[in-house]
Amino acid sequence: MELSKHHNYPGKLIVLEGTDGVGRSTQMELLANWLAVEGYGVTRTSWKSSGLITRAIEKAKEKNALNTITFSLLYATDLAERLNSIILPALKAGLIVLADRYYYTAFARDVVRGADPAWVRKLYGFALEPDLVFYMKMPLEPLLRRIITTRGGLDFYESGRDIGMSTDLYQSFKLYQSQILYEFEQMADEFGFKTIDASRPIEDIQRTLRKELKDILSDKSLASG
Amino acid sequence: MRLHKRHDFPGKLLVVEGVDGSGKSTQLDLLRNWLVSKEQSVIFTEWNSSALISKTIKKAKQTNSLIPVTFSLLHATDFADRLENIIIPALKAGLIVLADRYCYTAFARDVARGVNKDWVRSLYGFSIRPDGAFYFQVPVEVSLSRIATSRRPGFYEAGMDIGLSSDPIESFQIFQSRIISEYDNMAEEFDFHVMPAEKTIHEQQMLFRQIATKILND
Repeated sequence: MELSKHHNYPGKLIVLEGTDGVGRSTQMELLANWLAVEGYGVTRTSWKSSGLITRAIEKAKEKNALNTITFSLLYATDLAERLNSIILPALKAGLIVLADRYYYTAFARDVVRGADPAWVRKLYGFALEPDLVFYMKMPLEPLLRRIITTRGGLDFYESGRDIGMSTDLYQSFKLYQSQILYEFEQMADEFGFKTIDASRPIEDIQRTLRKELKDILSDKSLASG
Repeated sequence: MRLHKRHDFPGKLLVVEGVDGSGKSTQLDLLRNWLVSKEQSVIFTEWNSSALISKTIKKAKQTNSLIPVTFSLLHATDFADRLENIIIPALKAGLIVLADRYCYTAFARDVARGVNKDWVRSLYGFSIRPDGAFYFQVPVEVSLSRIATSRRPGFYEAGMDIGLSSDPIESFQIFQSRIISEYDNMAEEFDFHVMPAEKTIHEQQMLFRQIATKILND
């Protein structure tokens, strides 16, 4: 088994990170289309989307049956499965893999849920290091308003209710999201994230992302799509 | 890591380990009946049986497409679910918990599949240390003959997923011997009570009861 390290495959692994509601999916969609127009082969993959485990996670969440450790392990299983079935084959074929969230999301969430940071980092030791990580950052208050509007309300796990932060759903949500933000901030240095100000207009953010990607795209080993 | 520390719950945790066909389940069943007849409060839990994930694991195995790391993570999830929902609450309530296989099964099997040894141990860092771990040691030939009389070894059971051999029986032999050697290496690391295979079922059970009594009265 290979413990976390940089890959030598011809493709590139580009990660878009950030908390809930920060606009990752919108930016991902725009990036994927642009890359295709520019003639690059693109594969997309999202957090919690493997055929193997997604339904088990959703069912468990419905029943609120997850504890800190099973929560961590299920998401790690999901990534392991996607690495094997989607990410690795694409990188080997010289494609650009756009990942909507990566193990940094687990590092933030699981630690806020009380998992040992060293344990979580080691847990994901099987995963490849990305070539570039964009961290979409937004201040807490606008972020909270955005999550509530786009989701049409608050979600049990997104509010950290499973860890009993507060019985007041909004307070719990605010506390949970602020702790998640704090974890991301800490990681920005640790993992060399490219921090993107996500409170700007969609087109501005997209322009910045494309500019940052230029260096990576000049690599001759990439397959054209 | 909790696995190396004694727990302070009032209950006791006894686990049996060993390869398929080592007789561990028979022995645990006999012990359980005996404890129940002594009016002890006993709860039983076995590997790959959690409400959360065991069905997913069974389905995934049917496709024969799991890589060793995913296989490892799925079993760790099953274990974590049972630990939090069955084992720890029972220990807190002062029950005797009997576990047919524990994290040592993963340490043996996953490593035999080529998964990094330190990674697997760290993965199970949330486990708690049993009060007694009984290892039913058998030679490969014995394990194979016991399995072969009842059924053909399964795809994963035979280690077919890691391409040791295209012949299921030969693959099973190689894979089982790797697992046995992992178990043997762990005996000291985790203070296993080694239960020798050459004894009869009755003799083994008497020894098992004797050691278990000592642990339970401790």
